[in-house]
Amino acid sequence: MDTLIHQYVLQNTYDELVGEGNQPRPATRPLFDFLASLDFSTLDARRQAVEAAILTMGITFTVYSEAGNIDRAWPFDIIPRIIDRAEWIRIEAGLKQRLTALNLFIDDLYNEQNILKDGVFPKEVLKSSANFRTQCLGIKPRFGVWAHVCGTDLVRDQDGTVYVLEDNLRVPSGVSYMLENRQLMKRLFPEVFQSGTILPVDDYPTQLYDTLAALSPRAGVRPVIVILTPGIYNSAYFEHCYLAQQMGAFLVEGSDLVVENDCVYMKTISGLRLVDVVYRRIDDDFLDPEVFRPDSMLGVRGLVRAWRKGNVGIANAPGAGVADDKVVYAFVPKMIRYYLGEDAILPNVPSYLCMYDDQREYVLSHLDQLVVKPANESGGYGMMIGPRASPSERERFAGLIRSNPRNYMAQPTISLSTAPTLVGKRLVPRHLDLRPFILQSEKIYVTTGGLTRVAMREGSLVVNSSQGGGSKDTWIVDTEGT
Amino acid sequence: MLSRVAERLYWMSRYLERADNTARLINSITQVLLDLPLGVKFGWDILIKILGLDDLFLQHHSKANENNIVHFLIQEEKNPGSVVSCIRLARENSRTLREILPTEFWERVNGLYLYIQRNASGARHGRSQRYEILSQVVERRQSLVGLVTNSMSRDIAYQFIKLGQNLERADMMTRTVDVNSEVLLPEDPIIAVPTQERLWMATLTAISAYQMYRRQVGVHVYGKEAAHFLLNDPHFPRTTSYCLGEIEGCLAVLPDHEIPMKLTRSTYRRLELAPLGEKNSVTLHEYLDQIQEDLGAIHEAISRQYFYLYQTGTTP
Repeated sequence: MDTLIHQYVLQNTYDELVGEGNQPRPATRPLFDFLASLDFSTLDARRQAVEAAILTMGITFTVYSEAGNIDRAWPFDIIPRIIDRAEWIRIEAGLKQRLTALNLFIDDLYNEQNILKDGVFPKEVLKSSANFRTQCLGIKPRFGVWAHVCGTDLVRDQDGTVYVLEDNLRVPSGVSYMLENRQLMKRLFPEVFQSGTILPVDDYPTQLYDTLAALSPRAGVRPVIVILTPGIYNSAYFEHCYLAQQMGAFLVEGSDLVVENDCVYMKTISGLRLVDVVYRRIDDDFLDPEVFRPDSMLGVRGLVRAWRKGNVGIANAPGAGVADDKVVYAFVPKMIRYYLGEDAILPNVPSYLCMYDDQREYVLSHLDQLVVKPANESGGYGMMIGPRASPSERERFAGLIRSNPRNYMAQPTISLSTAPTLVGKRLVPRHLDLRPFILQSEKIYVTTGGLTRVAMREGSLVVNSSQGGGSKDTWIVDTEGT
Repeated sequence: MLSRVAERLYWMSRYLERADNTARLINSITQVLLDLPLGVKFGWDILIKILGLDDLFLQHHSKANENNIVHFLIQEEKNPGSVVSCIRLARENSRTLREILPTEFWERVNGLYLYIQRNASGARHGRSQRYEILSQVVERRQSLVGLVTNSMSRDIAYQFIKLGQNLERADMMTRTVDVNSEVLLPEDPIIAVPTQERLWMATLTAISAYQMYRRQVGVHVYGKEAAHFLLNDPHFPRTTSYCLGEIEGCLAVLPDHEIPMKLTRSTYRRLELAPLGEKNSVTLHEYLDQIQEDLGAIHEAISRQYFYLYQTGTTP
């Protein structure tokens, strides 16, 4: 046979599709066989059809640096990434455990602070945290939950172990692309879905609605839920529209809302209408000029006041970002033990915190082997991949670390797993990660799979779409029923 | 319904209607040109004057010839009323309305945008290509209207779409009638009468009204009857009169409609007093200007009532 999948050459990584001797894994066998039945021109025709569909469906994201070019077509690779359901069940349990502990931690920090008193979490880290909001001290949100929507990045190492790379619990994005990727695949490869072993993903909007509705202060009436967007120039604007559409929520900008008598209202053609829940997609800093940055044009004056009085639900709660910090991350396994009395199901990537002298010295003397990350950046900005960096770049980071040790942590370079990706006329291995989304309010829920992001450049480990990454449809495949 | 959303629906609809009407107007004039007898000159500059774009045009071009004017009306990004600009603005507005409009609406507006981006420059390569491209704009716009008609609940969002469309259409119709009245015809009635007839026939055809006109009024197309039909016919859905009726219907469903409703009704009354059949075209021109001002006042009243009710300070 001479199809593309038979010419696929593995790298020295864990591959998600094929294992030893280029043989498919149990869960990937049907896809492997399907790919084996396609020649290049057939596959390429499907790819072109997908690209045309992305263009007309207007699935886009925005790149900050390209002013004037407001959106780019969503980069999508047509070869799906597959995870066996048996493995997924364990990952799902690990994600639920993790977010439960994180929410207990945030609630503790803003109230009793027992974890500090018991010496499990160092006071210095909290003191120097950029996202700890003293304005939120003493507040008890419903269910004790602060981070209602969390996107946790998972990676798989060479030996097949799945690690947590980071937890995004400020305003994580990407879930709409997960949903659209599946729509695209079903539109263009209907035949592979006929076996019924690929689990569906499309209940997310309903689950998100339920999660948000549970935060409404007014029981018994259908809540008015709004999605607060920074507007059309935000990189995730497409997603804000998409979720509003899917949930039947109102998509609002800051100027559409007004706070009167400590209640939040939206401006409608027939007057003011009471708002019950705000799903905000604006960072804390810009949320409310009365409490945070006074120059914010995006937020709503008085929003935090209304929330504190219990007149509106906000997801994620202001201040939840305190746990979205790569130094705090290193303490999550300890938190799980502290709050839940359990061992972490999903391990962290080993991490070195530059705030500790011995760990900093290790980092500085091993810069050529480590990935260095700033504590509070997202989107892959401001990090250094040691083995790929130039000596002068490493020198620059050494300076940054010495001048602000609390803001840096380092991890060994994980050789991310790969999956076949269609590049030019060949299937080639490309590195990828996975971002599942976890919801928590009254109940806790994990997406079936998540968004697989793939580094489209050869050898690259950077998967962020803002840095030229692409994505794949993610299949959780049930092998037991077959 | 959020005030901001209402405003964007309204403008999106106006922009699409303007793109469609401008495309039809250019096509109708192009058709007329082919049939004009020697000695009758159509000045393309009439078109920009009547669309109220002459000052802007002169900032960008020195010569008011066919090429420059057509380029200005189809492609010029600096002309907010050009076909390309209108479609771009309609797309920008509908991007923010994706949670309100039928899902396919965005896909098709986006498709229209991509089409005009790729093809607009082809309009320079001669009249037949231009005709083809503008017809495509009209056709794709039709499919958008069809989508709204068949897949949208008759809710508040729908009313604002309809309001925008009908205000724009009513206004453009007065301008279309104005264009035809401004063409200088030769003294000799043997040439003048059939020329005028062709002129109006082309206009009726461009707005897909010719058949309806023939059934309603007659085979011959005389200026007075045609103008009367386009302004006052109560049944054909593009006439100014019909559009005012639609506006009234929309307002009736909206809350607190007293002021815009009153203005709509007084415009309606003025419309019935059209000085048609006057020898002096200046009278008709001034009268049509007055109707356009009335329509502007309705627009202002709608903006104040529904879009800026809670705005402090000046309106944008």
